[in-house]
Parts: sequence; structure tokens; C-alpha cells
Amino acid sequence: MIMVLPFITLALTIWLGITGRRRACLSGWLISLIIFGMWCSYHMTDALPLSF
Amino acid sequence: MTTETTNTTSAWAHHLNILGLAGICGVLAFAFAWQLAFDEIPCPLCLLQRVGFVLVGTGFLMNVRFGSSPLHYGVILISALAGAFAAGRQTLLHIAPLDTGYGSPFLGLHFYTWAFIAFMATIAYCAVLLMIDRDQRMTSSSHPGTLARLMMWLFLALVTANAASTLLECGFGACPDNPTGYLWLP
Repeated sequence: MIMVLPFITLALTIWLGITGRRRACLSGWLISLIIFGMWCSYHMTDALPLSF
Repeated sequence: MTTETTNTTSAWAHHLNILGLAGICGVLAFAFAWQLAFDEIPCPLCLLQRVGFVLVGTGFLMNVRFGSSPLHYGVILISALAGAFAAGRQTLLHIAPLDTGYGSPFLGLHFYTWAFIAFMATIAYCAVLLMIDRDQRMTSSSHPGTLARLMMWLFLALVTANAASTLLECGFGACPDNPTGYLWLP
């Protein structure tokens, strides 16, 4: 799990957006969102100190 | 709606999208400045919240660069919900009594609590924008204004700086849950 990966994909996504490539920018956003979700599941599996 | 009214609302929406992007730049810059000034190392969940803000900013950037569209507003809303999920999870992690939380507080609240508020505020802001921006139209303008271009490049610079900082902190791996220093710095 590479923590820096979503920052790199997003920096690339933003550069694609600035340079006018909308479809690639949207794809980059989607890929980054998927990485974000995977990284969240990696870091959020311990139990919360709550009881219901 | 007259053409003049349509142009006015479009101009308002354009400027409010630039303001939204500026707000995201402000949040990223403040978090980064706090990290450097007080030598507070961001935890993995803190970094994920920064990623959430960048995802949100990408939606604002697309509205500014390509003209507004429901798809771009959807990008902002989904990103804000994702960021709020990460921030809410960390808030719940430290909600129990006697838990002092992670990092130092700012104006009485920890940064993850502020992040949750900011993501919720972004959703509300986006709702207002959708009401104002009734005539959403994509434009193929390759010459956004000076302020818009400045904000977009500032946004890219801040994301690149965060990438460099995260690389110094974690290297090409996962960050520890409670980092105490930068992996790549002596």
C-alpha cells in the first residue's frame, strides 16, 4: 500500500484538467477515488471505541 | 429567463466555483503550513482527508476549466461525501471520554473534526451553487481568466507539495498509524 499514490494520480489528474483533457481528467479522478476507497478500507478496519 | 439573466447567473457560478477552488487551496495550504510550523506529522487518516479535499477540488477545477455541468457537480458531491466518511471515522475513533485525540487542536477542535465540518459545508455550498447555476453549460474555452489559471496552478503546486511531503514521510509504503518522524529524513 503506497500512501503517496493517490497524491501522484491526483497531481496527474489536475495537470490533465489544466491542459484541457476532460475525459482523461475524469478518468484520473475516478481512479484516485477508487484508490482512496481501498486505502480507507486498509486503515479503517480496527474497532471503534463505541458500543451500540 | 432572459439571455442577460442567464449570463449573470453563469458568471456568478463561474466566480463561485473559483472561490470554491480557492477555499480548497486554503485548506490544503493551512494544513501544510501547520505541519511545517509545528512539526506535526500527519497520520494516514489525516492524509486521506487531504486526498478527499483534493478530490473535491478536482470537481471545482473541472467546472472552472471546462464550464459547469451536472457531472462536475456530482464529482464535488461524491468527493465531499468520501472525505466526510474518512473525517467522521477519525472523529468517532477519538470520541470516547479521556481520549485526547490526535494532534493539537485548533480553536478547540481537532483537524479531523474541522475536516468533517468543511466537507459538510462543501456539500451545502455545492447545493447553493446548483441553485444559482441554473443554466449549466459546457464551454470549450481554452483561455480561462487569469485568476482561474492562477488558482488551478496553485492547486497543482499544493498537491505536488503534499505528494513530496508524503513521500518523505512514508516512502513508497504505508504510513504507520502514529508516525513520529519522516522516514526519508535523518
